[in-house]
Amino acid sequence: MRWFGFGFNAFGQIYDHDKLSKSEKIGTDEDVKVSSPLELTTGTDCCSKSVRIKASWSRRASLHLGGESCLCLAGFGAVTSTESSGALIKHSRGCTDVYISESYLTLAFPDRVEAWDLQKEEKTPSWSEEIRSQSETSGPPLSLPLVSGGYIAMKPPLYRSLSPHLKAKSLALSAAHAILLTASGAVFTWGLGSHGQLGHGGLTSEEEPRVVEALWGMSMTSVAAGGWHSVCISDGGDLYVWGWNESGQLGLPSRGLRKALQQQESAGASYQHTGKTTADEQQEGEKNEEVFISIQAFPALLDVTPSCEVKTVSCGSRHTAAVTSKKSHLTFDVTMANLGTRIWSVQMSHCVWSSSKKSRCVLLM
Amino acid sequence: MAALWTKISAVLPPSEEQFPLQFSDKVESSVVEMLRRSRQQLYVHTTKNSQILNAQIILDFSWEKLNMGTWRDVDKEWRRVYSYGCLFKAAALCQEDPSAEEILLAVKTCDMGLLMGAAIMEDILQVIVRILQGEVRKSAKEEKEREYPQVKRSKFEPPRVPVIKEEQAVPRIRCPSLESFNTNYLLPLRPVILEGIIDHWPALNQRPWSIEYLRSVAGCRTVPVEVGSRYTDEEWSQTLLTVNEYIDRYIEHKDGGKAVGYLAQHQLFDQIPELKEDIRLPDYCCLGEGEEDNITVNAWFGPGGTVSPLHQDPQQNFLAQVVGSKYIRLYSPEDSDKLYPHQSQLLHNTSQVEVENPDMDRFPKFAATPYLDCVLKPGEVLFIPVKHWHYVRSLELSFSVSFWWS
Repeated sequence: MRWFGFGFNAFGQIYDHDKLSKSEKIGTDEDVKVSSPLELTTGTDCCSKSVRIKASWSRRASLHLGGESCLCLAGFGAVTSTESSGALIKHSRGCTDVYISESYLTLAFPDRVEAWDLQKEEKTPSWSEEIRSQSETSGPPLSLPLVSGGYIAMKPPLYRSLSPHLKAKSLALSAAHAILLTASGAVFTWGLGSHGQLGHGGLTSEEEPRVVEALWGMSMTSVAAGGWHSVCISDGGDLYVWGWNESGQLGLPSRGLRKALQQQESAGASYQHTGKTTADEQQEGEKNEEVFISIQAFPALLDVTPSCEVKTVSCGSRHTAAVTSKKSHLTFDVTMANLGTRIWSVQMSHCVWSSSKKSRCVLLM
Repeated sequence: MAALWTKISAVLPPSEEQFPLQFSDKVESSVVEMLRRSRQQLYVHTTKNSQILNAQIILDFSWEKLNMGTWRDVDKEWRRVYSYGCLFKAAALCQEDPSAEEILLAVKTCDMGLLMGAAIMEDILQVIVRILQGEVRKSAKEEKEREYPQVKRSKFEPPRVPVIKEEQAVPRIRCPSLESFNTNYLLPLRPVILEGIIDHWPALNQRPWSIEYLRSVAGCRTVPVEVGSRYTDEEWSQTLLTVNEYIDRYIEHKDGGKAVGYLAQHQLFDQIPELKEDIRLPDYCCLGEGEEDNITVNAWFGPGGTVSPLHQDPQQNFLAQVVGSKYIRLYSPEDSDKLYPHQSQLLHNTSQVEVENPDMDRFPKFAATPYLDCVLKPGEVLFIPVKHWHYVRSLELSFSVSFWWS
């Protein structure tokens, strides 16, 4: 199993720009933005077959599974090893699942779940609860942030309960909204609705899980949440997107993305050229009757060309990354819609995917 | 332009140690680390690109926080972080012999901090933008005189000036005493047009406001503009433009477009203190109970044809007309039920009725509802009592200043 990373690396989450200490020169631009996939080194003393990686804005958590599973942290705070982060790592032995946000690291053990406050340097978790015995819950083991009876949120109160009637199968969270996939393939959303990210057709927020009726009747297999958008994959390999599209994160025509790309191009050229302002170009676009979508309040089926199955999908705060399969080959294409950076595709095989805030993505090969 | 960086660094703290970076726990330590790196880059030689990159990281992260939830919920700390990001980016742009474009981008960056951020380091963004505007004006003079672009005058269409019937005209009074205004209009909450009370404004005397004046004082500054006929329309949106861009596109229509754009309800005078010098707070505001600091002053600048749909506000309003004229209609709060306000939380202070083209079938009670109306001209101030419904249409190029007080 090999992992590759690209994107935001200002804290050395992808690779440690070596000798980066407070007194020395700050990393170069190439260190801060990794533009091509780079193979990750996941720690020399942890050598296991299976590694699960989760990322937050400033950190990467690598969970080495099998035997005595253990956790490695890279990125902000990992270089300077303090007593307590050493304690956290030692403490993590035996954990089966990890979930990381900018403020909290959540660990799942066979008998309990713990949440550690990453801002404070403490020797004990901020929150911990024993898991009810497995016999009470039927079905496959839940992955974080789902836990038995509820889920772990990104800010206090950390534990939130969920009705067992929902039969939660997997959960995707952003700072302000949530998307739940149930055992029957239905999708529920709740939280902030200001940018259409709940998919109910409006901009109102919901306090309780509400089914996304537009998807009713179709069976979904996975869900993901960005900062202000949501995506899910149907069992037929179709990708549905909804929410904010100002940065092009839904893969639909975006005025904001068009402007950003134009500004990049004109920044490259001499300022003495045509003198066209982006306002002019926008006006031209309007004359050509281009339809831009700023907010998609109902789920929309994303037309992926050439047509193929979408295998997995993951979201950063304002981007989406999907792994597709070409039925005729075993190679997988990865395409990304992202604000400001080039849209590019990479060929590799057997991709699974984990991505987080900003332009930071980590790949499994 | 090395002189520019000298001027900028002169207003920054002399050393890294004296540069304050204090934040509450709400700001994650990883973000504070990025801020510290940017601070260090101001005092240790680093490439301009590297500084801009770091500043942009801070801006992107904090911008996302500013857009999470409603504006009211946003923690002030994140607005401060955003302002620091603007500071670091503007400072970076001014290094190493900045081009004219970079200076304009630095002005825009400062404006974003002033519009979306919170004051830091004794309002340093204001200090810096003033220095930058000086540079912009200097290089504008040094440039060869541009050909004065032909202002496209669209075929002259006289505005639809409504006829004001005397029995429903807003009453007028010239320079009333505080006491008489209080007794006859404020306490009984009666609308009135006050004449002669802003005659002393520099905006009407020594520095008369005009398109050319606005371009010279604020041309390169970024302001929010409302695009679309009225804020109740589906295609209505807000965008950010420089004053020059706004005038080019929505006042002078240089691109030949017909879209309506309105620089509306913006606290322009906080953003651009030079313009604040051209107006005065009406004395009558002292009759209210609120503090002077709590008086909201908004600028309303736009072409003929801008419309503010019939709505009500929770404070007293003095609407001062400086340039051009506006048709205004007022309805009493007692008749609110005949004005069919929207049901939604967001628009419950706005009527559904198009005042000058009402749908009689949907809104039968509207036509018979009594009202007062007027054409407000330069030098006149309309007193709109709290909760009084008002509809405003500009009849020509117009600049008004509103004072919301209690």
